[in-house]
Amino acid sequence: MAEASKLTKNVLELATFYVGNALCGMDILKVQEINKLMEMTLVPQAPEYVTGILNLRGQIVTIIDLGQKLGLGKAEISSESRNIIVNAPGEHVGLLVSRISDVVMADPDRIEPAPANMRGLQGDFFTGVYKTENKLIGILDVKEVLRIESENLGRGAER
Amino acid sequence: MSIEDDEILQGFIEESLEHLSDIENDLLAIEEGGADIDVELVNKVFRAAHSIKGGAGFMGLSVIQDLAHAAENVLGLIRSGKLIPKPDIVNVLLLAADELQHLIEDVANSNSADISSHTAALNAIFEGGEAPAAAPRQERAAKPAEPVVKEVAAEPEPEPEPEEEQAELSVEEAEVDAADESEHDDHDVMAQETAGASRARRGAAAPQKTDTTIRVTVSLLDQLMNLAGELVLSRNQLLQTITSGDVRNAEAVGQRIDLVTSELQEAIMLTRMQPIGNVFNKFPRVVRDLSKKLGKQIDLTIVGKDVELDKTIIESINDPLTHLIRNSVDHGIESPEDRLKKGKDIRGLIVLKAYHAAGQVVIEISDDGKGLDGNMLAEAAVKKGLITADQAKVMSEKERINLILLPGFSTAKKVTDVSGRGVGMDVVKTNLDQLGGSIEIDSEVGKGTTIGIKLPLTLAIIPCQIVMTGGERYAIPQVNLEELLRIPAAKVKERVERVGDAEVVRLRGNLLPLIRMSKVFDIDPTYYDPLVEEIKQDRRQNVADPRSRKTPLFREERAVDEPPRDTSGDVQRQQGERRQSPASALNIVVVSTGAMKYGLIVDRLHDSEEIVIKPLGRHLQQCQGYAGATIMGDGRIALILDVSNIARMAGLTSLEGSERAAEMAEAAKEAITKTRDRQALLTFSSSPTEQFGVPLNQVERVEKIKRTDIEEIGGRRVMQYRGGSLPLISIDEVASVLPLADREDFLVIVFHLAGKDVGLLATGPIDAIEISAEIDDVTLKQTGIMGSTIINSKTTMLVNIFEIVQTSNPQWFEDHAAYAGIDADEAQAPTILIVEDSNFFRNQVKGYLEEAGFNVIEAEDGRIAWKKLEEHSEEIALVVTDIEMPNMNGFQLTEAIKADKRHRRLPVVALTTLAAEEDIAHGKAVGIDEYHIKLDKERLMECVHRFTKSAMAA
Repeated sequence: MAEASKLTKNVLELATFYVGNALCGMDILKVQEINKLMEMTLVPQAPEYVTGILNLRGQIVTIIDLGQKLGLGKAEISSESRNIIVNAPGEHVGLLVSRISDVVMADPDRIEPAPANMRGLQGDFFTGVYKTENKLIGILDVKEVLRIESENLGRGAER
Repeated sequence: MSIEDDEILQGFIEESLEHLSDIENDLLAIEEGGADIDVELVNKVFRAAHSIKGGAGFMGLSVIQDLAHAAENVLGLIRSGKLIPKPDIVNVLLLAADELQHLIEDVANSNSADISSHTAALNAIFEGGEAPAAAPRQERAAKPAEPVVKEVAAEPEPEPEPEEEQAELSVEEAEVDAADESEHDDHDVMAQETAGASRARRGAAAPQKTDTTIRVTVSLLDQLMNLAGELVLSRNQLLQTITSGDVRNAEAVGQRIDLVTSELQEAIMLTRMQPIGNVFNKFPRVVRDLSKKLGKQIDLTIVGKDVELDKTIIESINDPLTHLIRNSVDHGIESPEDRLKKGKDIRGLIVLKAYHAAGQVVIEISDDGKGLDGNMLAEAAVKKGLITADQAKVMSEKERINLILLPGFSTAKKVTDVSGRGVGMDVVKTNLDQLGGSIEIDSEVGKGTTIGIKLPLTLAIIPCQIVMTGGERYAIPQVNLEELLRIPAAKVKERVERVGDAEVVRLRGNLLPLIRMSKVFDIDPTYYDPLVEEIKQDRRQNVADPRSRKTPLFREERAVDEPPRDTSGDVQRQQGERRQSPASALNIVVVSTGAMKYGLIVDRLHDSEEIVIKPLGRHLQQCQGYAGATIMGDGRIALILDVSNIARMAGLTSLEGSERAAEMAEAAKEAITKTRDRQALLTFSSSPTEQFGVPLNQVERVEKIKRTDIEEIGGRRVMQYRGGSLPLISIDEVASVLPLADREDFLVIVFHLAGKDVGLLATGPIDAIEISAEIDDVTLKQTGIMGSTIINSKTTMLVNIFEIVQTSNPQWFEDHAAYAGIDADEAQAPTILIVEDSNFFRNQVKGYLEEAGFNVIEAEDGRIAWKKLEEHSEEIALVVTDIEMPNMNGFQLTEAIKADKRHRRLPVVALTTLAAEEDIAHGKAVGIDEYHIKLDKERLMECVHRFTKSAMAA
């Protein structure tokens, strides 16, 4: 009975992944696919957080280095690196993460707001945190990540 | 108003618009016919109006119905011959047709539109049989260009269109998804690609009506269905082959898929193709209305309506073309009085022509009007501060005319309501640039202007040159590509120069600014080493040789102090040897956009390929240097470069380019004078130690032979050549040089002299080079050797092939006209003026002529020649002149001669080292009678004989 009531309640399925050492999660419904295509084409003059572009079955997909974007440092591409392809208005965008982790069933009611001491840049990109038995998952605000900020424009141009 | 059935309404709109586009031209034809009514034509228009009326009635569009009805009434009168379609009446009908079009385009609001002025005018005609001098005409006089603009402006912005746009976008997204899910389905991918391309362009294109449907013939659809079926079959075969692992069969299936997809691609492209007539058809009306208003008489001839172009291009080309046509009518064609005064036909002519050329569509708009005055344009541009006076000075006539394309340039003295709509030629150019097209203007004052527009057939697939820089591939659209240039390592020092911190290369006498791709894009500089076939880090900053003596503007800034970034000792060592290794050759892509032309330095050049444009994501929109991306055969992405933006990023504008060019021209003037008389030589050896050269343009061919091919018969050496015997000689037979080396292999340099072929025996190495060095015609001169020069620090003897052959085979020349002396004593012999600044060439020519018995007067440049001509005007029978000379060049001299009454009849023969086509055309235009290549004695003498004979006869 407990199971059933859980299902009827809003369960948020979180796809979790590591950006550097930080565990993050996002609504699995926003994920289009996850792949390990690392044959990227570099784009000179692109904003710093853009790793490159990728051919995803005939579509050009921009890959964003999530670590760079969140201010957690540039991602090292390894055999565990993955691209999480998400839907953006009019296109697909790939988020480059260090490693993929489990899918976590989260109770939306137990998602807590991001702690106040989360530093500025990162704080902007998280809608909240979710606590499991042994770890904390930062819930990523995908929309915010994909937003093109004037600040980033400026930084990209300065390079 | 509620519209019940969207589909039916859409059908009605489309059909009506089609009718209306026909009506316009038909009405014009009816007007032209006047009283001589073509019943068939009138019937057609009548039926069209009737259909619109019927449809509108059915849809409950009462206003449209009323207007169509009123028009139909008038047409009925014309049909029955009760009314003669005078221009006034046709005017009212045309205006009504315009209004109908507006109403139909904005159906939702049509019922609230006010059409009383139109119906009143039409009814007045219907009842009275006369066109009233009523409202519509006045309205038209006020705003001839947009007759109904008033009504439209009064209404709120049409709502349905944005919605349609939205709908279209969501459809596209749906397609994108579908494509993702079914990657084998090429159909979807294709649809998405084309949609993507148009979406990529949409942001840039001017706002315009977007119709969301397209008419495709059923046969084409059938073909598509067929091909889709084929594709499915091929896919099944492929899957089967893959499961069975049959490699041989896979090849066959691969070929089949290749074939089917290309056909499918072509067929799908065809669905997007529309005849350019769709745009052209409105111009008779535009020209008619405008010329009437301006009081001009103009005929418009349209050629090539059937030429097909991509739908997107057709839509976007409309505005620029309209502007150009209006310009031609307003500014190009003169008023009838002026034309009469100038002795031109009172009716002006505008020709609108479309045709295919080199995989592109060319649209030409030419008028026989007053043309553009380059000087006036330059003056205006200077006044507006667009260019400096110095820049204007160094510009060619064509460059001056093309100044009109600069932003902020408008030549009309006053802004008329016809062309002065705030849209200048620069907007036309920008529009065309966005389409990947180009524009070029040719004009002659008093004769007319021709504007040529080149457009790609389609935007979705374009041919591109693939280049490589920093390990990544990039695509440069073929439309922007002028040529590919590779400067070998040994020549880099010599050809690439620096002005300030800008690099330039001298390309056929012009200075071409260079942009280093790695620098503009901030890519770690690399170079490709063809020897080891890998890409290496490059830390050199300048290609131009810092010790270059040619440019006083050079600043000492060799980057020795630059600390190596991350180099291993290996690379370090490499550096020393690299200056001369093939790896330091420069690969330059010469690109152009409009008036701007520059060289882009890249690491490697690859093939040219047809690519599919795909848009870049939003995050990369700020990157100015790209026009999009494409997917290469190996699945990786290559970025497409935006040539004009790169120029902007590098801080290169066309003005700056010419400014730099002007600076350079000043600085390198001396160098230019030195390189003026470049002579192409073929160098070879005869003995192992001596090097010889012969003018390349005298050489017919070079053959490689074995010693056994040489036959000695009758004391002469010959070989079989093209079915005959080719006499062979060696230089040592005539001149006292070292004997011909004894080898197994020889080279035979074939010359054509005195109507015969003759072969000169030689040995390698042979090379073709251009020299500009001084030729010493004293030190080593002897029979068969005309002089010597230093080539690559080796003394080279220049062979006089005429003398050699003449000495060894004197009998050949006895009967040949070119070598005949003249039958006259010295007093009567014709005098020839030789104008040439190089002593060597002058002496050569003088030698030929004196040998033949002519009297010769020499001059070092055009100005001296002119003086001599004044002094000896009676005697001189012919002028032989060089082109490139200080003070007064050959063109100027000829012009002066031909403009002078006394000398006008004097034939002028020009001698040149490199006969470029444009030079020849220019020469012919100023009056040069004949062109010959320097040192081609035979042709020159023949021509001299011909001219002097006719002069003597006269």
